[in-house]
Amino acid sequence: MRKQLLSLTVNGDPVELAVPPNYTLQEALRNDLGLKGVKEGCSEGVCGACTVLMNGAPVRACLTLALEAEGADIVTIEGLSKEGWLHPIQEAFVNLGAVQCGFCTPGMIMASKALLDRIPNPTDDDIEAALTGNFCRCTGYAKMRVAVRTAARELQEKAQD
Amino acid sequence: MRLPQFEYFAPVSLEDALKLKDQMRTSAWILAGGTDLVVNLKHRLLAPAALISIRNIRNLTGIDLTPDTLVIRAGTALAQVASHPAVKEHFPILVKAINSIGAMAIQHFRGTIGGNLCLTPRCLFYNQSLFWRKGKGSCHRTGAKDCLALKGSESCQSICSGDTVPVLLALSASVRLVGLGGSRVVPLTEFFSGLGESPYHILPEEILTEIRIPLPWAPISWSYQRLGMRSAVDFPLVNAAAVAVLDKGKVEHLRLVISAVGPAPVILREAEKEIKGAQPEPRMADRAAEIALRAAGGVVVENAIQSRDYRVKMAGVMARRAVKEALRL
Ligand SMILES: Cc1cc2nc3c(=O)[nH]c(=O)nc-3n(C[C@H](O)[C@H](O)[C@H](O)COP(=O)(O)OP(=O)(O)OC[C@H]3O[C@@H](n4cnc5c(N)ncnc54)[C@H](O)[C@@H]3O)c2cc1C
Ligand code: SF4
Ligand code: FES
Ligand code: FES
Repeated sequence: MRKQLLSLTVNGDPVELAVPPNYTLQEALRNDLGLKGVKEGCSEGVCGACTVLMNGAPVRACLTLALEAEGADIVTIEGLSKEGWLHPIQEAFVNLGAVQCGFCTPGMIMASKALLDRIPNPTDDDIEAALTGNFCRCTGYAKMRVAVRTAARELQEKAQD
Repeated sequence: MRLPQFEYFAPVSLEDALKLKDQMRTSAWILAGGTDLVVNLKHRLLAPAALISIRNIRNLTGIDLTPDTLVIRAGTALAQVASHPAVKEHFPILVKAINSIGAMAIQHFRGTIGGNLCLTPRCLFYNQSLFWRKGKGSCHRTGAKDCLALKGSESCQSICSGDTVPVLLALSASVRLVGLGGSRVVPLTEFFSGLGESPYHILPEEILTEIRIPLPWAPISWSYQRLGMRSAVDFPLVNAAAVAVLDKGKVEHLRLVISAVGPAPVILREAEKEIKGAQPEPRMADRAAEIALRAAGGVVVENAIQSRDYRVKMAGVMARRAVKEALRL
C-alpha cells in the first residue's frame, strides 16, 4: 500500500505526513506526532477517549481515516494549555476532582471544549448531551458536570476582562 | 485495532466518483462519515479493494427547498440536517430521530444522512470482532451458507438499524440514485430488498445522491418512538414512526412504520387502512399494537442483545405509542 501525503494543522502548527490509506487519525496523531493524549480505548467509536476537535467539531479519531483530515484544523488535549498554563477546563477538572485514573479525561475535556465553544453558558442538559458519548469508569460523572459548569463561568469572566 | 488494507480515493467531482464506482463496482465502497463503515472494516466484516470518499464532492452536501420538495443531499452531516431551518419547520420528526442517534460527537458531526440510510444491517452474531466470531462459526454474511440466528434460513436476517429509516419512510421520501448511465428516483417503499446480505436496491455502479421529502399539503401530526438500551451508544432495539394528517375530526392520512425488527422496515398497511377516514379513538392505538405485534412476530429472529419475545412485544408498544401521539389520543 503506497503512502499518501497528508497536510493538516495540528494544535496550530502546519504538519505534513506520509501515511498509508488504512491509517486512522488516531494512529497518525499518536504514532507519528507523539500526541499520546489521544487515547485508544475501544477503537470502535463507543467510548470517546479518542475525541479530538476537527474544524471545531468533536470527532472520534479512531473512526476517522487520517487522509480524511486533509486540510483540517485538528486540536488535541496537548493544544489546550498556553505557555505552561492549563486551560480553564483542565483547571476545573483537576481542582474539582473530575479526574481519577485520567484515561477518559482528554476525550472528556475535548468534548467539553467543543460544547463551550458553541454554547458558552450551557445548561446541565446541554452538558449531559455533550458528554453522553464519553465513558468514564471511575468518577461517576457528577463531578465532570460541576467542572464544566465552573469552567464555563471562568471562561465567561475571562472574556469580560 | 488496525484497519485492513485498501486503496483510498477522494475524487472532487461526482463524475469522477461514478467512473471509479463503474470500474470497481462492489469492490469499492463509498466512505461518507465512516462512523459505520470504519467499525465494520476494523472488525474485518468487509474487505473492499478501495474506499471512495465523498468528502471533496461539493454537490453531495447541502439542503434545498423547492416549491414541493425538501432535497437533502446524501453527504450532509446529521447535525446540519437537524439544525436546518426548513427541516425544523416542516419535519421536526426528522430532527427528533437524528437527535436520538447515539452520542453527539460520534454521529452528529461526521455521520451523514446518506450513511444512516445505507447503514450495514446489524446482527448480534455479525457485529463482533474477528476473534469473537471465530468462536461462533460463519454465516451467510461471513462466507458460510446458513444463519446462526435462524437455522436453515435462506437469507440473512440482520437488522435495519438506522434511526432515520422509519421516519423518512413515514414521510414518503424517495432517494435519487446516480450511475454513469443516468439517474433515477426510487421511492423508499421500493428501496429495501429485505435481504440482510444485500439490503438496498442500489446497483453496484450507483451512488445515493439525494433524499427527497415531499412537503406536506396540510399540517402533519407525528410521532417517533424508539427503544434503546443505552441512549448514547446503542442502536434502536425497535423504533416506530407515525405521520398523520388530521382534518375536520377525521384521520385524513396516516403512514405507520416499525423498524429495527428485520432487514427492512415494515409499513403497517392494515392498521393504516383501518384508521384512515375515521375519527381518532383510543382503540385505534390498541389495534395498531396488535397489528405491529403480529408483523414483528413474522420477522424478528433471535439476533439482538434482547430476546426475540421482548423485541416483538416492544414493537407493539412502540406502534401503540406512535399512533397515540400522532392521533393526539
Ligand atoms: C458507537 C456508535 C453508536 C451508533 N449509534 C447509532 C444509532 O443509535 N442510530 C443510528 O442510526 N446509527 C448509529 N450509529 C451508526 C452511524 O454512526 C450512523 O448511522 C451514521 O449516520 C452513519 O453515517 P456515516 O456517514 O458515518 O456512514 P458511513 O460509515 O460512511 O457509511 C455507512 C454505509 O453507507 C454507505 N454509504 C454512505 N453514503 C453513501 C452514498 N452516498 N451512496 C451509497 N452508499 C453510501 C457506505 O458505503 C457504508 O456501507 C452508531 C455508530 C457508532 C460507532
Ligand atoms: S442474521 Fe444470520 S446470516 Fe445474518 S448476520 Fe446474523 S447470523 Fe449471519
Ligand atoms: S477509542 Fe475512539 S471511541 Fe473509543
Ligand atoms: S477517570 Fe478513569 S476512566 Fe474516567
